[in-house]
Amino acid sequence: MKLAVAVQRYGADINGGAELHARYIAERLARHAEVEVVTTCARDYVTWRNERPEGVDQVNGIPVRRFPVTHERDPNHFGRQSRRVFDQPHSIADEIAWLESEGPASPAMIDYLERSASKLDFILLFSYRYYHAWHGARRVPAKALLVPTAERDPAIGLGIFGATFRSVRAVMYNSHEERAMIQAATRNEEVPGVVVGIGSEIPARTDGERFRRKHNVRKPFAIYVGRIDENKGCKELFDFFLRYANTFPRGLDLVLIGSAIMPIPQHPRIHHLGFLPDEDKFDAIAASDLLIMPSYFESLSMVALEAWALGRPVLANGRCDVLKGQCIRSAAGLYYERYEEFAETLYALESNGPLHARLGRNGRDYFTQHYTWPVIERKYLDMFDQLKREDASGARRPVESLGGWLARRQRNQRPAAEVLTKIPSNAVVPGSGAAENLSRSA
Amino acid sequence: MTDFSIRSDNVDVEQIMRQIRARIREKRGVDYTEEEIRELANVKLEKFLDPRGVRSDLLEQFRRKREASLPPNFKFEDTTLFETHRGLLAFIRRLLRPVLKLFFNPNPLIDALHIQSKLNAQQAALEPLYYEVIHNLVLETTRLGIDVKNLKMRVESMSSRLDFDERRARALEGVVQYRPGAVPPLQPPSGGGDSRAPESAEQSERRNRRRRRRGRRRPEERTGGRSGQGAQGAQGALGAQGAQGALGAQGALGAGGTPMSEGGEAEPIGEQSDDRDDRGLTPVHRDTDGEPSES
Repeated sequence: MKLAVAVQRYGADINGGAELHARYIAERLARHAEVEVVTTCARDYVTWRNERPEGVDQVNGIPVRRFPVTHERDPNHFGRQSRRVFDQPHSIADEIAWLESEGPASPAMIDYLERSASKLDFILLFSYRYYHAWHGARRVPAKALLVPTAERDPAIGLGIFGATFRSVRAVMYNSHEERAMIQAATRNEEVPGVVVGIGSEIPARTDGERFRRKHNVRKPFAIYVGRIDENKGCKELFDFFLRYANTFPRGLDLVLIGSAIMPIPQHPRIHHLGFLPDEDKFDAIAASDLLIMPSYFESLSMVALEAWALGRPVLANGRCDVLKGQCIRSAAGLYYERYEEFAETLYALESNGPLHARLGRNGRDYFTQHYTWPVIERKYLDMFDQLKREDASGARRPVESLGGWLARRQRNQRPAAEVLTKIPSNAVVPGSGAAENLSRSA
Repeated sequence: MTDFSIRSDNVDVEQIMRQIRARIREKRGVDYTEEEIRELANVKLEKFLDPRGVRSDLLEQFRRKREASLPPNFKFEDTTLFETHRGLLAFIRRLLRPVLKLFFNPNPLIDALHIQSKLNAQQAALEPLYYEVIHNLVLETTRLGIDVKNLKMRVESMSSRLDFDERRARALEGVVQYRPGAVPPLQPPSGGGDSRAPESAEQSERRNRRRRRRGRRRPEERTGGRSGQGAQGAQGALGAQGAQGALGAQGALGAGGTPMSEGGEAEPIGEQSDDRDDRGLTPVHRDTDGEPSES
């Protein structure tokens, strides 16, 4: 079997998001198939500047073919285009212009995918909202599997993506909430889909004491791992934690791991250790009492899965449907939506040993059942088999037309932000109306 | 803070969150949903009432603006349009007024301006009141802001103290072991030789308890028109010492030797007797004739 993985940027030095997801999947599927990664020469996800050489490269034994980006992103232009399509009635042409301005625009990459499609069994397109995924899905729909990595942001309300989600061969969702959101936005229930997520390279042995010695952390602590950014909910986390620290002078400390792009409050109980290598990161999680995930938007939190894999409960932001849903389904974490809940839940996890231990065990079980690599690989391989059977039966879904020149310029598209508000949001939990989805995905 | 007991392997996170929210509701009295909070935040009035939103120089600005921008008001009567200090001109105008009215009717204009003039005068009279109201509002808002800040600090402080106490109580509860036989035994009678002494002491204790209960039930008896009984009760407590000697002394002081309060009542002993009931002894009440009866 021959597979291509198409992603906006790729490299061993990219430690997060859809790119890391794509790398893990490519490396894992390479054990079962011949895998080639198709990507751009960009390294920076803001400018999409061509920084890597064009041509074929090898990353961890996987061939990577890079194509140049035709233009860098102009933030002002992109901002104007975003306001137009997110906040105002607009046309399909406006949305395509927005996609072009978002980047990374690489027509050569799309041409290559189209040319090589006949030699490939399937093409995995990562991140629905980028240029390569939209154009790739339209040019080679018969081979395209989409890994949307969709968050609850207005882009999901754009009309051009509805056709994409309805015309690909299959969609590999990260979470039940992501699937519910995409299906509500695009009505693509007919397209085969499965909730897969991603595994993680959990080391066989971790040493919390080693971390404590190395970084001179003596007291019990809660940990946050990730970019320290207001968009990740860190401002609220600091606010809540400072109030909590004031109320409980002898409670947990807070250890932060990751690069900071916002000021961190100076407080004796907040320790920022910066970006750490994986070994230290896992040791830190093992040494911690719990992981806090304050983010409002996540399609799947890998670090939460890693904490669960190491038997640590998670305290998540309940306004993030995905995190809340995972906490409920796994029975391995609590969640908060405001300070009072933050204080109560953190206190409960800090002071109630049996609860902490039970949640930790549940987390480990949840990870083992759903997110170990054999489970993830099996879901991909099963989907490939299912699609091959469909191929044999000759069933095809046609690509939806976006209309002619004139139709594309009619301002008949609703503001995407308005569309997003109409999409129901909630955690998908067993016993709720979405239980059917759960059972189907299982 | 919330306590959860994990009794089985199944943890229901939603159930735990419901408990946590119920606990928060108990504490706060009211629990706003996110939508309600957003709705409240959208109320423009709140911005004004927010002490941080009130400009410190608001009054000064208001006064300055009022003085600078107000044009002088003037009275406008039905003759104002035709007034002049020149007598001849006034005569000609009056003479030609019917001719003027052939072209247009100035009366509605005159009426409107007259009313406007009155309104202006009223408005000018109201402005000092507005000023005073705003002045008072700013003062009160500032005061309330300070109060709220103080209350917040007090609540935080109380919350941490409460939490500390709860934790301490839990820790103590974990340490103390309940033992039904741990009731402090009654002291033996100090006047030896009387074989009835232990039983009599208990009877005396019960009697005392009964008296105290009656005293509590009918406090007016101790001071009001039924003072005879009160005196009797007091006498009972004191007189026992004289009449029954050591036995009576035991009855009054045996359960702790607490000095009696005014009116001959031994309240602390009564507390101890009640404790015994609380520990599982069948409460015994006696009728007025002294016979015990199960309550």
